Amino acid sequence: MHELPQTLANGLTLGALYGLIAIGYTMVYGIVQLINFAHGEIYMIGGFGALTIYIWLPSGTSLVFAIPLMIIGGVIASVGVATAAERFAYRPLRTAPRLAPLITAIGLSIALQQIVWGFYPDAKKARSFPEFQGDAFKITDNLQLQRADVFLLLAAPLCMLMLGVFVSKSRAGRAMQATSQDPDTAKLMGVNTDRIIVMAFAIGAAFAAIAAVSYGLKYGQINYEMGFIAGLKAFTAAVLGGIGNIYGAMLGGVVLGVAEALSITYIQDIPGMDKLGGGAWANVWAFVLLIVVLLVRPQGLLGERVADRA
Amino acid sequence: MTTTETHETTPVIPLPEAGARLALAVGAAATLASTFLSWTYTTDFPGDLTVTGYPGGLQVLTLIGAALTLVYALATFGVRGLGWLNPAGTFTPVLLLALGTFATTWYTVIAIAGELGGIVNLEPGGFIAAGASLVALLAALGLPLPRDTDPTSSRFTRATAPIFGTAHGRLKQPKALNTWAEIGIIIVAFAIGLFVAAYGIDTPYGELFVGFLIITGFAFGAIARAGLTTRLSALTTKHRQVTVGAAFAAAAAFPFTQDTDEFTLLAVSILIFATVALGLNVVVGLAGLLDLGYVAFLGVGSYTAALVSGTTASTFDVKFPFWAAALTGAAASLIFGVLIGAPTLRLRGDYLAIVTLGFGEIFRIAMGNLDGTSGPNITNGPNGIPNIPDLKLFGYDFGAEHTLAGFTLGSYANYFWLMLVCTAIVVTVFARAGNSRIGRAWVAIREDETAATAMGINGFRVKLIAFALGATLAGLAGTVQAHVQHTVVPEMYVFAGPVPPSSAFLLAAVILGGMGTITGPLVGATLLYVIPTKLQFLNDYQLLFFGIALVLLMRFRPEGIIANKRQQLEYHETDQTAVPEDTTLPPGTVGVSKAGA
Repeated sequence: MHELPQTLANGLTLGALYGLIAIGYTMVYGIVQLINFAHGEIYMIGGFGALTIYIWLPSGTSLVFAIPLMIIGGVIASVGVATAAERFAYRPLRTAPRLAPLITAIGLSIALQQIVWGFYPDAKKARSFPEFQGDAFKITDNLQLQRADVFLLLAAPLCMLMLGVFVSKSRAGRAMQATSQDPDTAKLMGVNTDRIIVMAFAIGAAFAAIAAVSYGLKYGQINYEMGFIAGLKAFTAAVLGGIGNIYGAMLGGVVLGVAEALSITYIQDIPGMDKLGGGAWANVWAFVLLIVVLLVRPQGLLGERVADRA
Repeated sequence: MTTTETHETTPVIPLPEAGARLALAVGAAATLASTFLSWTYTTDFPGDLTVTGYPGGLQVLTLIGAALTLVYALATFGVRGLGWLNPAGTFTPVLLLALGTFATTWYTVIAIAGELGGIVNLEPGGFIAAGASLVALLAALGLPLPRDTDPTSSRFTRATAPIFGTAHGRLKQPKALNTWAEIGIIIVAFAIGLFVAAYGIDTPYGELFVGFLIITGFAFGAIARAGLTTRLSALTTKHRQVTVGAAFAAAAAFPFTQDTDEFTLLAVSILIFATVALGLNVVVGLAGLLDLGYVAFLGVGSYTAALVSGTTASTFDVKFPFWAAALTGAAASLIFGVLIGAPTLRLRGDYLAIVTLGFGEIFRIAMGNLDGTSGPNITNGPNGIPNIPDLKLFGYDFGAEHTLAGFTLGSYANYFWLMLVCTAIVVTVFARAGNSRIGRAWVAIREDETAATAMGINGFRVKLIAFALGATLAGLAGTVQAHVQHTVVPEMYVFAGPVPPSSAFLLAAVILGGMGTITGPLVGATLLYVIPTKLQFLNDYQLLFFGIALVLLMRFRPEGIIANKRQQLEYHETDQTAVPEDTTLPPGTVGVSKAGA
């Protein structure tokens, strides 16, 4: 059991990462009932935006100065792409049958991935990302945290806090809640729903960019494919927590991350499953978890019973 | 019924009509004649365009385009005996053909200049062809063309009205023909179709294929605008059995048009892809369930067939006869379909999309992991299962060459016919199931799940049947695929890869072709398979174009190339059912309920 604290900590950081991306799915879904498949790619573009800024900075710039600028660069890139996608691809299809925007999202996802692959310098293989210098923090004998993990564990709750305050206290946030409850009535009450929808896309994209920077700092590299699996996991997290609920997204992310970390460490100890553990099978177990959750609690951990909107 | 009253016909370029007619005929004739001249000095450009007196390569395409333009021009000018070519009676087909000829010719000329480095490489023949085709195009624009004067139409609709034509007029009443003549027309149409398809598949170099795509695209558009496809589809509905028979006969005749195995292998791959796309169409088109991991079911079938095929690389030391392997593969896919479908189909459709996407990914990862080091040794991991033996059915060796009626047919011809049988099975299942009680229930669920449930349809049960049926059909196709490819590897079953069939490509084939139809996915799959294979220079960017194409398709023609009759009649109440009137999406066209997706 001596590896349990470290496993939980790994799970928590991974979960915070998933949670940050999942916010984007859940906000967009909560307002327009659209699974934005391209969100994984928006996350990836956030990473490349940040990397671009880092390359522009004079070499040897301390990360303390570089990181805020990189986050700004990543946010600009991802928010720009997300709002453009909303404006030119999704908005014309808002009254279309549900399959149409889903397919558009898949097309967008493939196109964005290919644009980065084809046109970003040297993006055909993984590009290295700056890493924190210095040793890991040793908390106990069994537990140490990398500096990037600490960054992530600080950034995620901070972002959640800001989002929570924004949604519940600000005028725009309350308009957002109203739109998600009933877009037509919200419109009648004078809410500019188009603007609210753009805002939902933008906030989700900004969070994804922050997640991408954290990912880069943690693993020291980013690549054009990183959005696909991350997007899939984040969507799982959003469903797990109850899609449409922003706190649920973070909770779902953490549950998923911890479950994944536990599966990597402990599945192989179960008799008869000694070859089904380890990193190679982590994605498979995350998927099994998704199926189980859909089976026993389809509305998610914090979700309310969602009635079909006819 | 017609919308002619609100629209008028005026030329785009104001020319006296008689002059425009004369110029058109002269331009088309001159283009035709110019293809017999030499277009370039050297034979460096593929297809040898240097010979005077004998058109070659791309010149042949220009020749065909010019000839069609001329014939159609004469038909619209009222030359006796040609009236049947243009029942709609507008000038739009002529414009389209002139445009197609112009595009092919200029593409050729620009390609010569571009590839050989400058327009000095053109001989006078090339200039004559370019000029004459331009004259024909300008003259065609001077003919009275349908215009959209409705101020509420979008600018795009108004600008493209002469081509897409909102004013179709009523089709002239066809002359009564006797049954044999009608059957003869159907057979001739399929023979032409086989010839065109075989020509396209056989094109040896990319330039020719681009030219082929341009001219066939425009010619098909012209024929559709002329109302001939409407006529033909009236005939095919009347003689359904003859049509189906002719279609399969035309397809079965394909190996006889081939000298080598190269293109037959391509044709087998197309058939596999098309069959799987048709299976997906049961799930997406009929029942309205978005399955993003469909290729995994194909993979389940392939892997099962490979494991029981008796190859030394298989970890099971068994050798099933093919019929048993096919049944096992289909059954394995069925089981996975139910396992995936049962928990998710009770929920809204979006969940199914993401779960199937996850399943497709997990299948690939799991197959790669089952290699003995990261997991139990079942599939050899990333190396896959090689050396799958050729099939033997009733003592007939699929791997050997056979001689039939004087034609030597390579081994892929055998697989081609086997796959064709498989396609026939899927087509039959699709047609029969689609018209059955269950098929109507699928459509009802797709249109409005709440209403369908209120009418007493057990939504979950019929959706599960659709999903499981789709999975089974894919598994069946997979068993053949394993033997055709002789090897299965996990990387064949990705979500979006450069080589079809991947899940995204399959979905795109269904959507591009037209959801809920039989011919749609077959056409869509053929196009999506052939275009990347032929245009190798696109290789790096084909996925990019593919993604953009999906987005644009959803925006501008969500019902696909061949739209479902039922939906079209419902949403476009005009005589000419093949034309979308709106650039916006008519509600429900793609055929998904708002509730059920």
